[in-house]
Amino acid sequence: MKINYPEYHYEIVKKLLDGKFILYPGNLYKIISEQENREFYIDFFQESFGYELKIETEFIYLISDNTDEKTSRDIMIFISILAFEIDKEGKNFIEELNNSLFSLDRINQYFENSHSWSEIIKENKQINNSESRKSLIYNTMLKRNLVEKIGESFQFTKAHKVFLDFALELIEKDKNEEAHTPNKGYT
Amino acid sequence: MIKAEPKTILYFLYQHFDLLKELFVAQSKNNSIDYEFLNNEIEKYGKEIKSQLFEYHILKNINDEYQITDVYYNLFEFILQQFKPLLPEEIKKYVQSISQLFFNIKEDINKDKNILIDRIDSLTNEIDKFLSQVKNNTASLLVKSKELKANIDNIDYEEKIHKASFWIEYYITPLNNIIDVQNSESIYNTLFKISEYANEKRMNYNDENIRLKFERLYNRLKHTLVEIRLQSEILVNELIPLIERIKTENSILKGMHIYLSKGYWHHIKDKPQCRLLKKQRDNIISKDFVLTTKEYFEQFQQEEDVFINEDKHEFNDWIFDKIKYKERILESMPIEDFFEWSMNEIKSDFKDFKTDNYFSIVSLLFEKDLNIEYQNKYKKIIIENDNTELKIPVLKITKNEN
Repeated sequence: MKINYPEYHYEIVKKLLDGKFILYPGNLYKIISEQENREFYIDFFQESFGYELKIETEFIYLISDNTDEKTSRDIMIFISILAFEIDKEGKNFIEELNNSLFSLDRINQYFENSHSWSEIIKENKQINNSESRKSLIYNTMLKRNLVEKIGESFQFTKAHKVFLDFALELIEKDKNEEAHTPNKGYT
Repeated sequence: MIKAEPKTILYFLYQHFDLLKELFVAQSKNNSIDYEFLNNEIEKYGKEIKSQLFEYHILKNINDEYQITDVYYNLFEFILQQFKPLLPEEIKKYVQSISQLFFNIKEDINKDKNILIDRIDSLTNEIDKFLSQVKNNTASLLVKSKELKANIDNIDYEEKIHKASFWIEYYITPLNNIIDVQNSESIYNTLFKISEYANEKRMNYNDENIRLKFERLYNRLKHTLVEIRLQSEILVNELIPLIERIKTENSILKGMHIYLSKGYWHHIKDKPQCRLLKKQRDNIISKDFVLTTKEYFEQFQQEEDVFINEDKHEFNDWIFDKIKYKERILESMPIEDFFEWSMNEIKSDFKDFKTDNYFSIVSLLFEKDLNIEYQNKYKKIIIENDNTELKIPVLKITKNEN
């Protein structure tokens, strides 16, 4: 039996299995989200790997129980501290993360002047100095399509919203955790 | 009765504007002015002015509380452009009075002309007041929202989310419901019906004086409808998105604060993390593997002579070929005594076999497509090559059709 796969099937599978986000309005996004391919790819990743394909309005990615917690942690810390520092400046961090160009100098200034989170910055090897931050941005995040390099600067792609959505989910998760944590003050 | 000259009062307001502004701000926050606060403020400007504040009816005293009288409070609201947002219930009273006056005008349109004129004037005034309240309210809600956005009170994320939800739930959405252009029950549509009625009457009413009153009402309504549409647009396009943004923004910051401050980043195995797929390793053998392996070993290659001594040790050179024996089993089915069959097979292939060779064939017993029947009989076998004696059950093997 010969199966006819959608165009660019190999590229789509390779990118997603590499943990990359496929972004709107790219060609690969268009192919996956087309009505006739959407169900195929959801089933394909579920049946072949047990992974869930998430098709959002601005990006597509795979999730599974096989997570890369360390990378996820490093990026979450990075974006969170950045958001707090932008907010401290009186700017709208959502708009800045969506539209602004960031140079490494600007990033370094935020992290070097972040007194509230200095302990966490010091402790995390991926963000504790200029070189490690550069590597986090231009290796880890660039490879996953979380940022895009523009000249000497970079811009977040819409995929960064995964981390903002996670922050929103965390409020509920934390509430549930607190509800299930026994009160340690009394015995 | 106020005995003082009006100009004296106005001069007093001008002279003590800073004090009055402080009192106005205090009352705006707490609805009244605290006795101690009032005395402290007055001391800064001179004790003698306290009596003037009461004499000119600027302040009134109710129990232990002080308040600026309504007329001055409204004046300060207006000149400082700091309106306190009104509850929707306070605005709705105009909707009721406007609807009631319109109903009465229609009911008694051919009755007493004087009451008709009074009602048209009153309706025009109520519409003016209503519009003014809506505009002041939208403006004040916009100021409040922008203050919240800029966080001038320096409140935390939780409080900001709470305040944004509060403004939306109790002030902005109900106000929008009152003036919503799309809603057939809203005041906009009531005013539109009044406007159509006034338009007709300004043309064909038999009394000229009343026609002029309807003309005035009609013109006022034309302006009011445009203004309400504008206010509704401000609410829908500017205010509601602004408040929603404040809510989202602060909810995200709150979540991030939880992540950083509650150790989620520290205990990554125990606490939930954003699900980011682990990159897959390509385990499939590359077509270039021979070359790359050779290359890998070549880097350790030493250019030294190598001497090989022939090993005289004898090796057992029988290798278990699972596929071959599996095929033989399938060909020989059914097998009445599996262990005996296995013994015969290995004997015919390799006469020097030992116990471990024998067990290699016996391991085929665990293949999924074989059906095993236990006969409840045992027998003894001896493997002479390594002097092993085994007690084994008699097992019948058939093909598992499932």
